[in-house]
Amino acid sequence: MTDTIDIPAKLNELGLGEGWTWDKGAWWLAAGEGFDIRATAERLRDLDARFAAITATEQSDGVIRIDYQWDLDGILLSFTISSPDKRAVSIVDIVPGADWAERETHEYFAVEFAGRVTLEPLMLRKGDAPGIQLKKKEVAQ
Amino acid sequence: MSYEIPIGPYHPALEEPYKLELVLDGETVKDARMSVGFNFRGIEYLAERRNYLQGITLVERVCGICSNVHSLSFCQAVEKLTGTEPPERGLYIRVILCELERLHSHFLWSGIAAKLMGFKTVFMACFTLREKVMDALSAISGNRVNYGMNRVGGVNRDIADPAAVRAILDEMERATTETIIPIFLDDRTVQSRTKGVGVLSREQARAMGAVGPLARASGIAQDIRKAAPYAAYAKFNFEVPVETAGDVRARLIVHAKEMIESCKILRQALDTLPEGPFQTPPPTAAKFKVPVGTAISRVEAPRGEVIYQITGNGGEMPERVKVRTPTFMNMATVRETVLGAELADSPLIQASCDPCYSCTDR
Repeated sequence: MTDTIDIPAKLNELGLGEGWTWDKGAWWLAAGEGFDIRATAERLRDLDARFAAITATEQSDGVIRIDYQWDLDGILLSFTISSPDKRAVSIVDIVPGADWAERETHEYFAVEFAGRVTLEPLMLRKGDAPGIQLKKKEVAQ
Repeated sequence: MSYEIPIGPYHPALEEPYKLELVLDGETVKDARMSVGFNFRGIEYLAERRNYLQGITLVERVCGICSNVHSLSFCQAVEKLTGTEPPERGLYIRVILCELERLHSHFLWSGIAAKLMGFKTVFMACFTLREKVMDALSAISGNRVNYGMNRVGGVNRDIADPAAVRAILDEMERATTETIIPIFLDDRTVQSRTKGVGVLSREQARAMGAVGPLARASGIAQDIRKAAPYAAYAKFNFEVPVETAGDVRARLIVHAKEMIESCKILRQALDTLPEGPFQTPPPTAAKFKVPVGTAISRVEAPRGEVIYQITGNGGEMPERVKVRTPTFMNMATVRETVLGAELADSPLIQASCDPCYSCTDR
């Protein structure tokens, strides 16, 4: 893809949704109701996109924002979902490379990924409680 | 009858800790389980509890090999959040630091790979050349590691005498081209230890999200310096070496060719280093505050793409600092590459993905 292409239109045409905006290093899509992260992951895999990262952030209201980042031919795409109940759906069976990212997100923000067989500790030791980056917990302590 | 060999966390091939439990049938690896996290320092947690200027110093200590890449990625993200545009000379100096860092990292990797092949003379040659790169880095920054060169808005030090760095480069490039590259490309001992060993197919590399030389040795032709240029990379001519065999030999070839391309970039940057300032003036406010927003910075580290995502909340400390390192993606491919391999080849296969556990664990 080059600078001359209308990227939001192209992404929509590729079945990756409407409403893409460029901001400070990535193309962002705030995923609304009905957004299917698994179907999107399958679509991106079929487009030969590269899974890059999962970035979770605890917002001031306690809701966990989860950004899924993919590289599509050099363009960084970021899908943002909100997880008020700290739950998300696993995409590991679609993209094995997301395994460590999901495990790390679980350990840092206590997000539970439905559909996974295992969430073995990655950075923490067995028995350590997940959620080590949760600021609200820190305040409570 | 199968049996298990636990390797690590203290490792025979590399100096950093991780654990690999190999399940063997005779001499053949049938399965592998990996444990990381022994170097976990909570860098992201710490970065969110320090101001932005302290954050630069902190993230530079994520890794002792590609320290410059981390501070650069961090500064680039903060520059996006604050709308800061470093002057051109500063961007060129960033490229020079990045390529010198790539060279010393690739020499390190090449030396370790040679040692694991039992080719200790090449190990010595690689580390001798690496010292020359370290000398150049030390001459520029004053440090052999953790150079402290990056700042928001450019670099902290100028390169006063590019010709002196050029002289080191010429000597190092000649020795690399005449000694190291021919051995890696043509030597029969090297070929016998690496050809067809530790294969990672293109499909496997893509499924695992592999990046950098590891992915390029499996036919994935992406380099962030070309795909999403940063600093002054768009101004330089260079190739992105790609191999398709996906074995240890392909990784050797990609690393060797990348060293030549780094020299090519360095020569261009040193010869055309623009005049003018190398940093923007420091902020006039007493405290350095960053607006609300999220920015992402990507850099092609020696081992592949590094991603920094930083969220500012209008205050002096970031709300969120996410660090995604190349080895975090590449390390999990070790399981794929050791399956079916001979036990004796497994240290070389593990090392061939150029792992960095400090980066992985953060």
